[in-house]
Amino acid sequence: MREHAALVITTSDLPTWVGHLLSRSQLIAPQALVGSDVAYDVVSSPDDVRWDYQNSLTPLKRFLFPPSDPMLRWTQTNGRPSAVEPVYDDKERVFLAVRPCDVSAVLILDRSFGRDPEDVQYTRRRQRSALIALACTEPGPNCFCVCANAGPFLDQGYDVQLTRLAHGYLVEVGTEKGASLLSGCESLFDPAPAAALDARQRLAREAENQFGEDKAYFAAALRQVTFNRVSDDLWRGMGELCLGCGGCAFVCPTCHCFATADCTDSGGGCRLRLWDSCLYEAYTLEASGHNPRAERGQRVKARFFHKLSYQFAQKLGAHGCVGCGRCVTACLGSNDMPAVTARIRRGAL
Amino acid sequence: MGNAFLPDLAQIANIRDETRDTKTFALRFLDPARWEAFQYRPGQFAEVSVFGVGEAPFCLASPRDGADAFEITVRAVGAVTEALHALRTGDVVGVRGPLGNGFPFNEVKGKDLLFVAGGIGLPPLRPLIWQVLVEQASFHSIRVLYGARTPSDLVYRDDLERWRGRDDMQLLVTVDVAGEGWTGNVGVVSTLFSKIRIDAPATIAFVCGPPVMIRFVTRDLLNLGLAEESIITTLERHMRCGVGKCNHCLIGDKYVCTDGPVFTYRQIKSMMEPA
Repeated sequence: MREHAALVITTSDLPTWVGHLLSRSQLIAPQALVGSDVAYDVVSSPDDVRWDYQNSLTPLKRFLFPPSDPMLRWTQTNGRPSAVEPVYDDKERVFLAVRPCDVSAVLILDRSFGRDPEDVQYTRRRQRSALIALACTEPGPNCFCVCANAGPFLDQGYDVQLTRLAHGYLVEVGTEKGASLLSGCESLFDPAPAAALDARQRLAREAENQFGEDKAYFAAALRQVTFNRVSDDLWRGMGELCLGCGGCAFVCPTCHCFATADCTDSGGGCRLRLWDSCLYEAYTLEASGHNPRAERGQRVKARFFHKLSYQFAQKLGAHGCVGCGRCVTACLGSNDMPAVTARIRRGAL
Repeated sequence: MGNAFLPDLAQIANIRDETRDTKTFALRFLDPARWEAFQYRPGQFAEVSVFGVGEAPFCLASPRDGADAFEITVRAVGAVTEALHALRTGDVVGVRGPLGNGFPFNEVKGKDLLFVAGGIGLPPLRPLIWQVLVEQASFHSIRVLYGARTPSDLVYRDDLERWRGRDDMQLLVTVDVAGEGWTGNVGVVSTLFSKIRIDAPATIAFVCGPPVMIRFVTRDLLNLGLAEESIITTLERHMRCGVGKCNHCLIGDKYVCTDGPVFTYRQIKSMMEPA
């Protein structure tokens, strides 16, 4: 198989391929939770994979940037630290049937952690992972990836992209790494007929047309945030809606603020990297008691400036939102991305 | 590929009491090769680990000269700084750095240099002052204005004595509240501006201290006619990673740890959040 190939696989052959992927590496795919909820998790059988889901409750980042992650270990000799060693996770991972928005989000994390100096804790995991996207033919009610240019189909960024057709899946190979995921199973794949490629274009168009009108209109908000034209009153008002729970940051596929904490044991200890959120009051608190972002409104502003401003888009290669809609579900104070961009657009709560 | 989060071990070579809550630690890398590579400029900082407690950023407070150790000056105010104060000579800590941009040096040659420090704001300026004094002929004038709350809050008493005795620079010291036996100036540091002649277009001011002091000193310097880009300061934030990844020190889109910590007032004024 080669890069940029377009192939097809039948639905009945799919489990054979998935079984092959399982034998080579850890496989992470959408799985049923309780009720109708679905979330990405490690699967142990091809039967565990859910192919008919709208979106995962949580994004991929916890596998590449875990909520609590050992960074280094020190050894103690005669009561004094005597050596420090990094802790790396070099497991091979394949992410299967993940949504285009989540693939787009990983590309943003790649840019942020990959910038000089490279964050090897992240990049080592990332280099050993492969992304098999499942294009969205039925976007969910909170989805707005189309506004963020992050879905519902991907043009790039995937190793493999699957599209569900009538009797099987179109398999687009995007990278060499993607091609290697098919090796050993060549007989399961056939070259894609012209009808399959036509169907993909039609399905992509239909998917885009399913997004409603009242989604996050980024453009106007981007300009206002970039030029610092949103009034302090409006930020203050949105600050009053914020519970400071950090839920939006934890479900967000692109949020990646972290803090560290040390844990000791008998022979030394380890330093953990922990998820943090810029909406927490203590996030910017200094030991002296001084807090440059003491007001909630300032913290809400900082979060959306990081997501929406052109200044950060330049650093990250894209705006820091992929339109997955998870903040719509998570935020109890309605400070989700579509609501915030709508308020910025009309200049009032 | 190097790991920017991995500290190198260093031993506490010396501890000096500065004030009732502030100490200066001399740190020497266990691996001499690490010291060779640890080339820094004044204004840069390091992340220092007390293993088991955590890590905190400290400015490099001594010049990178012939010594085999560098100094940090630490006020005991939080978990890491209190743990540092509990350590003794010979104890081992972790060091990452040097980090951050550092002060301009060649760019300000030929200028009137005005250092304005408040309290614990002298440590970031100290290595720059010594570096400037080594090449003092390259600068038109060197003046240090230093203010602290009380006489017992003044740090680097040895340095102050040596600077006072030099004729190629001028040192003025003031305290907010005089104690018994204090015969020097009384008042906030900006009251010293009236005691010197400032040639605004030729002056570069390096200002360091608590946020409120920086605000008032900057206002006074602007009123004296200094250009916005001639007022240089270091900003403080809780920089956790020090390498522009964790996002804690962001001011708008500027990382204090990698874009700074040294900024001109002109840069600070254009930031998206109050500095």
